[in-house]
Amino acid sequence: MRIVVGEGSCGIAAGAHKVYEAIEKLGSGIELGITGCIGMCFLEPIVDIYDKDLLACRLVRVKESDAQTIVQAVKSGDLTQLSGLAITEDDKSFLDKQTRIALRNCGIIDPTDIDQYINAGGYKALEKVLSMTPQAVIDEIKVSGLAGRGGAGFPTWFKWNAARESNGEPKYLICNADEGDPGAFMDRAVIESDPHNLIEGMLIGAYAIGAAEMVVYVRAEYPLAIVRLEKAIEQAREKGYLGKNILGTGFCCDMRIKAGAGAFVCGEETALIESLEGKRGMPRLKPPFPAQCGYNDQPSNINNVETFANVAWIIQNGGEKFAAMGTKDSKGTKVFALTGKIKRGGLVEVPMGMTIRDIIYDIGGGIRGDRKCKAVQLGGPSGGCVPYDKFDTVIDYKALAATGAIMGSGGMVVMDDTTCMVGMAKFFLDFTAKESCGKCVHCRIGTKRLLEILDRITKGEGKDGDIELLEELCDGVKSGALCGLGQTAPNPVLSTIRYFRDEYEAHIKEKRCPVGECRDLLTYTIEKEKCRGCTLCAKKCPAKAISGEVKKPHEIDKEVCIKCGQCVTLCRFGAISVR
Amino acid sequence: MKDCKCSHKISDLSLIKNVLDQYKDKPGSLITVLQKAQEIYGYLPTDVIYHIADVMKTTPAEVMGVATFYTQFRLKPVGKYLIMLCQGTACHVNGSERIESAICQRLGICDGDTTQDGMFSLKNVACLGCCSLSPVMMINGETYGSLTPQKAIEIIDGLYAKEADK
Amino acid sequence: MEKITVTINGKVCSGERGDTILNIAAANGIIIPTLCHHYNVKHYGACGICVVEMENSPKLLRACSTVASDGAVYFTESQRVIKVRKIALELLMSDHEGDCRGPCSLNCPAGTDCQGYVKAIAQGDNRHAVEIIKEKIPLPASIGRVCPHPCETACRRAHVEEPISIAFLKYYAADKVLASDDPVIPKPESVSGKTVGVIGGGPGGLTAAYFLSLAGHSVTAYDAMPKMGGMLRYGIPEYRLPKSVLDKEIAEIVSAGVKMENNIKIGTDITLSQLREKHDAVVVAIGAWNNMGLRCKGEDLTGVMGGIEFLRKVALGQPSGIGKSVAIVGGGNTAMDACRTAVRAGAENVYVIYRRTRDEMPAEDIEIDEAIEEGVTFKFLTNPAEIIGENGKVSAVKLQVMELGEPDASGRRSPVPVEGKFETLQVDSVICAIGQKVNVSGFEELELNSRGIISADEHTFATSVPGVFAVGDATNRGASIAIEAIGEANKAAMVIDGYLAGMDTPYRKPYVSERNTEDIDFSRFEKCARTKMPVRPAEERKHDFKEVNLGFSEDAAIAEAKRCLECGCHDYKDCKLIKYANMYDLDADRFAGEKHSCFVEKKLEVIERNQGKCILCNLCVRECKEVAGKGILGLVDRGFKTVIRPEFRDSSVISGCADCLACVDACPTGALKFIGNKK
Repeated sequence: MRIVVGEGSCGIAAGAHKVYEAIEKLGSGIELGITGCIGMCFLEPIVDIYDKDLLACRLVRVKESDAQTIVQAVKSGDLTQLSGLAITEDDKSFLDKQTRIALRNCGIIDPTDIDQYINAGGYKALEKVLSMTPQAVIDEIKVSGLAGRGGAGFPTWFKWNAARESNGEPKYLICNADEGDPGAFMDRAVIESDPHNLIEGMLIGAYAIGAAEMVVYVRAEYPLAIVRLEKAIEQAREKGYLGKNILGTGFCCDMRIKAGAGAFVCGEETALIESLEGKRGMPRLKPPFPAQCGYNDQPSNINNVETFANVAWIIQNGGEKFAAMGTKDSKGTKVFALTGKIKRGGLVEVPMGMTIRDIIYDIGGGIRGDRKCKAVQLGGPSGGCVPYDKFDTVIDYKALAATGAIMGSGGMVVMDDTTCMVGMAKFFLDFTAKESCGKCVHCRIGTKRLLEILDRITKGEGKDGDIELLEELCDGVKSGALCGLGQTAPNPVLSTIRYFRDEYEAHIKEKRCPVGECRDLLTYTIEKEKCRGCTLCAKKCPAKAISGEVKKPHEIDKEVCIKCGQCVTLCRFGAISVR
Repeated sequence: MKDCKCSHKISDLSLIKNVLDQYKDKPGSLITVLQKAQEIYGYLPTDVIYHIADVMKTTPAEVMGVATFYTQFRLKPVGKYLIMLCQGTACHVNGSERIESAICQRLGICDGDTTQDGMFSLKNVACLGCCSLSPVMMINGETYGSLTPQKAIEIIDGLYAKEADK
Repeated sequence: MEKITVTINGKVCSGERGDTILNIAAANGIIIPTLCHHYNVKHYGACGICVVEMENSPKLLRACSTVASDGAVYFTESQRVIKVRKIALELLMSDHEGDCRGPCSLNCPAGTDCQGYVKAIAQGDNRHAVEIIKEKIPLPASIGRVCPHPCETACRRAHVEEPISIAFLKYYAADKVLASDDPVIPKPESVSGKTVGVIGGGPGGLTAAYFLSLAGHSVTAYDAMPKMGGMLRYGIPEYRLPKSVLDKEIAEIVSAGVKMENNIKIGTDITLSQLREKHDAVVVAIGAWNNMGLRCKGEDLTGVMGGIEFLRKVALGQPSGIGKSVAIVGGGNTAMDACRTAVRAGAENVYVIYRRTRDEMPAEDIEIDEAIEEGVTFKFLTNPAEIIGENGKVSAVKLQVMELGEPDASGRRSPVPVEGKFETLQVDSVICAIGQKVNVSGFEELELNSRGIISADEHTFATSVPGVFAVGDATNRGASIAIEAIGEANKAAMVIDGYLAGMDTPYRKPYVSERNTEDIDFSRFEKCARTKMPVRPAEERKHDFKEVNLGFSEDAAIAEAKRCLECGCHDYKDCKLIKYANMYDLDADRFAGEKHSCFVEKKLEVIERNQGKCILCNLCVRECKEVAGKGILGLVDRGFKTVIRPEFRDSSVISGCADCLACVDACPTGALKFIGNKK
């Protein structure tokens, strides 16, 4: 039997590596390995026990202190003693409705071992491609209908073709792994869990466009991904998949990593190029497009991680098989990072055409605490929300765009009836305003002003006409901004106004936050009749705003109160009212 | 900058010689050089920036432009413990704002500041990618998840106690 | 080069393949506004002002950088384009911390470029100063002497110690130029063939006549009095404004092409409609020459007269009949002129009766002081209750004693009679200087307002009769100061010029950026006292009508002028931002929010950089790098916090700036200023 610990970033954050070390210490002689992220973040840390090549048992929410039990069980061969840790049937269903292409090896193979990738059928597609003409490769991708998974959904073959037809040597193939959408982490998962899949996909792309150099631009916040990818590149070189004369075909192509330094705007391809050139990541004007004049003013093609992660599969299985999945306009699968007020959060890969409702309820298991679901935010700061009554919308570029949201890079944040939508819009604008590169007027000052208006609304200082002012400014920023960041920054505002105008109005006209989230509109008071004077709240108040004698009603100093809500959570008598 | 006291500090420029030798002839590697410099010095001292500009054959204005554009770079030293508080969407939805005010209250600093005793720096960061553990903070590489304001303060107090023991 | 054809705003334009929309448009006479584009550097695309719409394209294009496609149809001023452009400008202005014009100019009813001429004086260039003044005021030496200078009221130097002596500097420069052999007399540039009749030869009428004449029209000014000048001649006493000065300035107006006809009274010598028929347009600037009555018993007695009437008689050399003791009622400048004239006319006891205290007096402080020096007795908190006569002639005035009550609508505490408390002054005459009325006889066909004053549109100065315009004291709010009339006449001249060309061009107050005075730190300025105007001693001057003021010496004037804080932007006339802001009718306040501070940096030694005015077009950075090859300037930070800074080098190290000024020349606003000496 073999023990495999899920060591993706979130697994490690939840303590997976400590579990690994504990098992390693106790279980000498037992075969122990790691794998990447299976996507079931809500169950981390996860430990899989394999019997030969079959998954015999999956243990979830494992603690360091469980190591002893696990080692014992494995040594004895009696896994029944682990039933307390084993995944429930219900939670297993998280994976049932998924179709995994981009994530096919994630959480299964050891990302630090190229042989495991090869055993899983890896680098076969590359071998196949090297016997095809570049045009044939592009044609196959065209058949598959693969579109950019980074957000814009531009047909991949078209970009490849443009770069291929463009004059100029050398050409570059760049992978955008600057996953900046706060709430999306599928690209990190692919690199951490299946780096060779990315390398192979990129090699195929490089062959198709005629590039001899590949660069992966990875977010600085992903140190583990960088380490794993570095190792994978090294292994691929050793095996002859990278470098000169690949697999003896004469095809030469090498790869390097460029670590980003923290700027969301570098997810925009021209800003990414500026950053690659060592400059401030400020977008360039398009045209010329990178396919004509990109990195180092040479023809360059840029795709994101998830896009490349589909490529080897498409070549292996044929474009038609990929195109068989999905809707008329959107083919294949899409990975979503399901987070927020969801029971089972994590990474899900579903075929295009599935409804939002299926993802949230069948895969995600519904809303935490079975509260009422209000909306889901798609596409992060560039996207919009889809309200509950539109949950039958299917995953499809056009269908989602019609709701005012976008497919985006796959962030799917679930909001329940305690989420203030004005606050949500403000959160995203705060993000885009901070991340605006500052180059163009509409974005630099426009997002700042949008944020200021939203801020005053959430503080109860909104004025009549503010909604219309927001709408007008949003419209101006969308049409006037230079790059995608600015052009899409108003989306969260527009879509929340579209579906939750009443919430805006309540803030502005009644100076009230309907869900009681906007702190400036709240006051915390202790109801004298209910307070027993247990002193718990006073002891735990981080601002020391609560005072009172034992067994006598306490009081909150409103000037000192930071409205953290801690007292409400703590009070056993329901004596603290929030208005 | 008149009020920039750090500009008078003298850094040991020999520490970065190897890095500069490796990258000085590679165009476009300014960000990498700055990342390495920050690894060496803990931040980007002004004299190091000037030195990099000289060796990399660019101007100090250009280097400063890059160093101030990316959030990773620091122009001031950070505290012994760097609290990176996740401001990703999932953390926001699960109350990261409340955690922030509790931490600020406890340490008497705002985002981007360092406590007077040089112990803690607080930095709001983009998604750390531990959405299922939200709200999350990371202190010197260690992740702390499912925070409440109270829990966050206990963690800080714990680190203070640990320091006091030393 | 291959030619292509595009359609821009319906006009077929040809250009070269590969050229941008902006360049092709410009070559075909269509100007697309832009702030961040400059011909000698690479395009950048930041400002978003140059956006244009292309037929069948959902996105707007940046004309500065988009290569025109053959056969494409572009619109540079479509509604969508204007909306986006306007929002960009509103956003830029919402983050703009600077004064386009100094508070002095903004508070001058004529909008005179005070800062401009003060600076010229400081540089010793009086002629240039007068050129600047004459863009707004055709009578600088006269106005410099008499103007109660709202400019000085607004002057920010007052927050340091005292305002700049702006009016007297004008008087100084104008006198110097009048005395020189090189007067400033502009000539009309063209001849329109149209004629304008101006009724009234006072400051308003003369100003309208002057500017309309310079605009190329044939202008005749008519006046009922024997000489031109209006109130400047017949209301302002000689000791304040010598007639010789006024005569010279009026002669200059004649030299500028204005024909003048005196002793013409409308309704008697010619009717308004006759004049209207004779001219293509008529300007009514008849002033307010009638006195308000006292409305107390005895006001019909011989020896009771109006202030204006008294001053006019003295100006005409007629006997005034005031006797030895005279009481002047009122607290304004006319009352001061009257009492000081009475002293000079030989009265031994001169009283000023004013119902409030000195603090509430509308007259200028200096006038009150000088009147006291000349022996005038002020009877504050008194009001005439009755004028007592003997044989139909004034013998005394009975005064009701007053006290101050609650503040009224104007904020001044209103005088209330003290029941039963009176005093009596023995006087030979009573001069009533409590206000003026318009004498509308001869102008009956014009619509009047409820106060019996001619109604004129505030933006077009049009009266109820087509082609007849009206300005000054005779209109709307009634009597005011000369510079108000001049300001209106100035604007009216522009409107009438448009009217004569068949256009409707109402006056619109230009939009400007202004700082809040409260936001300014004045402590950084060194104190430097205001230069006092030297005057003749009271004992000497009270016996004659010679001018009281002696005028500034050259040194004094230059020193005074150098005190100017130069609040207004040096680049106002060339600033592209404010030009566009006015073109697109902004509502800049709606996006008001946090601004960049007005941080001023002089790190580049000969270049001063004002962050508050920087629009981050990055032209300076690009010029420095691409044109000068230096790369001294750079962007720092990102997002809203982005600023442009020179490198952070210690000031002891030479910055490497070549002083080529490429950055200053390219700056579309006043953010960069050359402060060295031109090489």
